[in-house]
Amino acid sequence: MNRTPRILLQARLPLAVVLIVAGVLAGCATVPPPAENLRAAQQAIANAERVEAGRYAAADLSSARTKLASADAAVTEKKMTLAQQFADESRAEAELASAKTAVTKANAVNDEMKRSTGTLVEEMKRGSGDKQ
Amino acid sequence: MNISTSSSFTRTLVVLAVSTAILSACATAPMKPAGSAEVRAKLSQLQSNPDLANRASVAIKDADAAVRAAETPRQDEPLARHLVFMADRKVDTARALAETSLAESQRTQLAEQRETARLDARTHEADTAKLQAAVARADGAEQKLDAEKSRADADAARANAASSQLQASEQQQRAADLQKQIDGMNAKVTERGVVLTLGDVLFTSGQASLQPSAAGNLNKLVTFLANYPDRTVMVEGHTDSVGTEDYNQGLSQRRAEAVKSYLVGQGVGPIRLTALGKGEAGAVASNDSPDGRQQNRRVEVVISNPPAAAR
Repeated sequence: MNRTPRILLQARLPLAVVLIVAGVLAGCATVPPPAENLRAAQQAIANAERVEAGRYAAADLSSARTKLASADAAVTEKKMTLAQQFADESRAEAELASAKTAVTKANAVNDEMKRSTGTLVEEMKRGSGDKQ
Repeated sequence: MNISTSSSFTRTLVVLAVSTAILSACATAPMKPAGSAEVRAKLSQLQSNPDLANRASVAIKDADAAVRAAETPRQDEPLARHLVFMADRKVDTARALAETSLAESQRTQLAEQRETARLDARTHEADTAKLQAAVARADGAEQKLDAEKSRADADAARANAASSQLQASEQQQRAADLQKQIDGMNAKVTERGVVLTLGDVLFTSGQASLQPSAAGNLNKLVTFLANYPDRTVMVEGHTDSVGTEDYNQGLSQRRAEAVKSYLVGQGVGPIRLTALGKGEAGAVASNDSPDGRQQNRRVEVVISNPPAAAR
């Protein structure tokens, strides 16, 4: 009765040591910068610039740039989790800027179509007024 | 034995304490992170909008997942804030994408509306012109009656005067007859020959079938051609610049053919007639104004000048 737990305890000890050492090593090992997230943010900003988001969603694009700069700064300070979060937020802002630009442009095209139809109708009404 | 019992008791205590701590931790943090409720509301609004819910479905699904992540209660407050931020932007992005898709899908309908308005305007223009032409015709008929009476007087006088100069008068008479017939048709003498212009009011709007009112003018042409069998005729159709070039080319050709077949039906030899669609290229007035377009929509009948008669 007395012996069994001790044997078990002895068997577990090395395992626990291995686990603890592994954990400590993992904690000390340098976390790499979130390269993928940073690249995705840069790409999203480039896309937004290409669709002229600077004209149609300037605030969102500028926020995306600021957050990318913050992400880079966090990398320098080795705060990799923070860097990853800033990079992801930058990307989300840039994607929003692109989407807002697209909807503004699409609505502008539709408005122009409605306007020209309205002009035709108006012209017709005026024409009949003049001639009758 | 004693020691063992006490140690097992201690272990039980520790386990209890730990599990209590875990339970209490769960109990104190069931609150959803600040801001997540607002983001959820924004997403629900998008998902319940019947015009938008079925558009940008990938982005909406993405936003939904982000909102769910943001709603999960967390101890790590910066992480919770980050996730709420991400969800908020993704919902906004999904809405913008759905609205873009909606706007694009509305374009077909808008284009149809514009086309309808354009056709209406064109029909309306033609109707108005038809009315004006009818009024003008009534005026013209009265004037023509007066003119013909005085011309008949003049002819009679000329015939009297011509009795002494028979040879000269014969030629003069022929020229006068030609001029009279040309006048009767509202035709113009140009270097290409005698040009008779039929306005588009003589056609059903947008179609090639002749209106009954066209018969008067065309019958004078038939008489003229019977009197001058050596002359050939070129029937040219013209349109304005509204509509596609192909459409206008086809319409002008069909209208020219309609006039030709009318003349053939009235006994003019088909070999003397050529029908030609000139489309929108032969504008005689600006296509920018309704009046100009009205003038451009026409069929011109060009009666050739034979070398002998041209003098």
